[in-house]
Amino acid sequence: MTDGDYDYLIKLLALGDSGVGKTTFLYRYTDNKFNPKFITTVGIDFREKRVIYHSRGPNGSPGKAFKVHLQLWDTAGQERFRSLTTAFFRDAMGFLLMFDLTSQQSFLNVRNWMSQLQANAYCENPDIVLLGNKADLSDQREVNERQARDLADKYGIPYFETSAATGQNVDKAVEMLLDLIMKRMEQCVDKTQVSDTANGGSSGKLDSAKPEEKKCAC
Amino acid sequence: MTCELNLNFLKELERETVLQVLYRDQMVRKVDEERIRKLKMQLQQLQWKGTNSVSHEYQERSCARCQKSLGLVMNRGAVCNGCSHRVCSECRVCLNPYLWKCTICYAHGDMKVKTGEWFFEERAKKFPAEDRHETVGAKLLKSYQKLSKISVVPPTPPPFTETTGRNTAMEISQSKSFHKSVENLFLSLATNMKKISKSQNDMRADKSLLTTDYGQDMERRKERRSQSDTAIDAANRIKNIPTLQQLISGTWDDNEAFTKRYCKQAEDIPTSPMSDTVFCGGKKHGSLYSINSTCTEAGNFDTTNVTGEIEFAIRYVFKTCTLEVCIKACKNLTYGEEKEKKCNPYAKIYLLPDKSSRSKRKTAVRKNTVDPAFHETLKYKIEYSQLETRQLQISVWHSETLKRRVFLGEVVVPLSSWNFEDNSTQSFSWYQLKVKSGKPEDNLVQYNGELLVCAKLILPSQSKKCQYEEQMRGGREDQASADGQLHLVVLGAKNLPVMRCGGTLNSFVKGCLTLPDQHKIRQKSPVLKKEACPQWKHLFVFDGVTPSQLRQSCLDLAVWDQASFGSNDRFLGRARLSPKEPSGTWDSDPQSKCQWQKILSSPNTWIDITFTLHSDMDT
Ligand SMILES: Nc1nc2c(ncn2[C@@H]2O[C@H](COP(=O)(O)OP(=O)(O)OP(=O)(O)O)[C@@H](O)[C@H]2O)c(=O)[nH]1
Ligand SMILES: [Mg+2]
Ligand SMILES: [Zn+2]
Ligand SMILES: [Zn+2]
Repeated sequence: MTDGDYDYLIKLLALGDSGVGKTTFLYRYTDNKFNPKFITTVGIDFREKRVIYHSRGPNGSPGKAFKVHLQLWDTAGQERFRSLTTAFFRDAMGFLLMFDLTSQQSFLNVRNWMSQLQANAYCENPDIVLLGNKADLSDQREVNERQARDLADKYGIPYFETSAATGQNVDKAVEMLLDLIMKRMEQCVDKTQVSDTANGGSSGKLDSAKPEEKKCAC
Repeated sequence: MTCELNLNFLKELERETVLQVLYRDQMVRKVDEERIRKLKMQLQQLQWKGTNSVSHEYQERSCARCQKSLGLVMNRGAVCNGCSHRVCSECRVCLNPYLWKCTICYAHGDMKVKTGEWFFEERAKKFPAEDRHETVGAKLLKSYQKLSKISVVPPTPPPFTETTGRNTAMEISQSKSFHKSVENLFLSLATNMKKISKSQNDMRADKSLLTTDYGQDMERRKERRSQSDTAIDAANRIKNIPTLQQLISGTWDDNEAFTKRYCKQAEDIPTSPMSDTVFCGGKKHGSLYSINSTCTEAGNFDTTNVTGEIEFAIRYVFKTCTLEVCIKACKNLTYGEEKEKKCNPYAKIYLLPDKSSRSKRKTAVRKNTVDPAFHETLKYKIEYSQLETRQLQISVWHSETLKRRVFLGEVVVPLSSWNFEDNSTQSFSWYQLKVKSGKPEDNLVQYNGELLVCAKLILPSQSKKCQYEEQMRGGREDQASADGQLHLVVLGAKNLPVMRCGGTLNSFVKGCLTLPDQHKIRQKSPVLKKEACPQWKHLFVFDGVTPSQLRQSCLDLAVWDQASFGSNDRFLGRARLSPKEPSGTWDSDPQSKCQWQKILSSPNTWIDITFTLHSDMDT
């Protein structure tokens, strides 16, 4: 698996309070297994997985397929590693922001994590998905779906209720994030090429607010 | 923002854990850099194919990409809105029904996303002051290595005394443990190569196996790998997309020929033997640094008898990574000139197996005495871990004239068994001088330091290959994928012959794989500036080689010191892996064959190798 036979290296990063299930979630994603034990992460860690990404054509028709090598960074939620973990934010192309549906506090902290992202990520509005984890523990639930969705909408990011225990929405959430990144990537390139040349070289600001416009540049 | 970030705040074990992650990350980066390098090469080739794109006279009449002539009415081509060149319909790539680009523009865009350059561009807008490509992981590793170096060097070297006070002992044991952790770092790099796909948890799982119930399910543990192919979606519709290679009209062979041509540009490794004098320009290093080289060894061993003793002490200063040998005195020496009862003794030491001038230290000559007092401390900058492989040879000589020297006796102390932490072994003792041990030829063994590498033969795993081939390649790369790759990470070198003032090198490594048909694949590492103990950690990939080819190939590695402008690069040492029985002089590393076989017989596994570098240049 250490060969370079892939088209893209995409770096994702999971963040959120300690114990919300970042490590367990990533393990479920890469190995499709559940680890009930809590071994808190020391500083940082990562896992890898190779997937095939299918881009879609303009009208939903099957598009291209790419081999993607995912590097999934796992960060420690513990406060004392904060300086180290936040430093790693700048190298990630997308983020899995996670809280624990059975912990109101972890949900309240999402706001803080968002501002950490704003300060440290590679751009002001990076691709993020919000994940309410441990959805299987419905009897211990402290955060309701409405609350969480409202928050996600406020930030304009997708929201998923996931469970590393059952696998619910795990793949879906990562795929959604990957999708967002791949789209942004294509737009970056199309946009710069059109503005570099056709518009006489002045490359306009790239804001991802108007994605539709970039789709067809001519 | 991240400038002050380092790993100091972590506890030692935590740091270890994080470092292992960082090294694992480094491997991911290395593989990616190699992938990007290849992509760039392909793009370059594609651009060469369209050379006419710059000559304007053809612009309106022929396709800028394939030079096919274009008609005025029929097949007149169209202007690419990327580069404004007119291209024929075949030289376009449709991105969607409304947008196409010419092959070159497409390839440029493709490059930008595939290399991740889009990301770096974006980030540079937010953090314009920071290094565009450097990752936090790389930065941390670098600063850790730098820091660990600084912190072992005290502001002033402690004087060499016989003090055995408690404080000193404490200090030494402490710095020892620090030093150990630096060592471990190197070790952990090596172990990581093997456990390359493991994450923190897997490592911990290994450990906890010993004590907890975690190991109840052994199989599960074994299966826990951080990477998995499981998600590779085999059944799905995949439309053939233009890969760069497909855009490059021409066969894979073509591409390979290009690779060869490209590689040939790299400088050839000179094959002329180099004189020993290269290493003799020495600077003073605590004691006399002889201008003469090993040839002085050919001096007089025809001493009739060896008598007397020598008093010295050896200690290792962990803080400064210095081995200190304090030569105090000799007594009852035999006369150098028996008849005239003349004796002008001096002591000389080597840190064997290095017999070069670099390893030589001498005391001053005492006149007309057989009981000389020297009181000189001779020092070596050397890693503690290195001492294990070394012997300290202390010999006493009579200096007759400039030319003539007479051997008076020697003591050889194997440092592997020396207890540097025990204070009692640091104090002075008398040692009986002995006659020359071993054959004089032994002295001429060349030792130019050590080169650490790890190597792996990568053979494509059958199942994965099939999937990919069917899905992605359409048969185009079949030929290449039938072959394997030899990966070799040049980790670092120690004890290289340093001669510049300041004692550093601008070193780099050249690798050359000679295939049975004498075709050579050459690789070169980047130059590491101002490092006496460089750690390139550079990955060489020898592509498209079959195991059967490799069984008859040999791999040469040479370490060079980059010249400042004008002059020639300086050769520092070389090593060879070869399937043949050792032959000739320098090729005498019996391990060579063994290691080579090990690599070939355990594909997809990292094998660590420590080479002794030789200075001979002939093959
Ligand atoms: N029932 C249930 N338990 C979960 C789920 N996800 C994680 N857990 C458990 O929650 C505990 C903490 O999970 P971790 O993944 O180690 O937490 P973390 O976010 O990585 O914590 P830090 O590394 O300290 O930041 C573990 O015991 C997990 O087994 C889930 O979806 N359902
Ligand atoms: Mg964790
Ligand atoms: Zn054309
Ligand atoms: Zn173009």
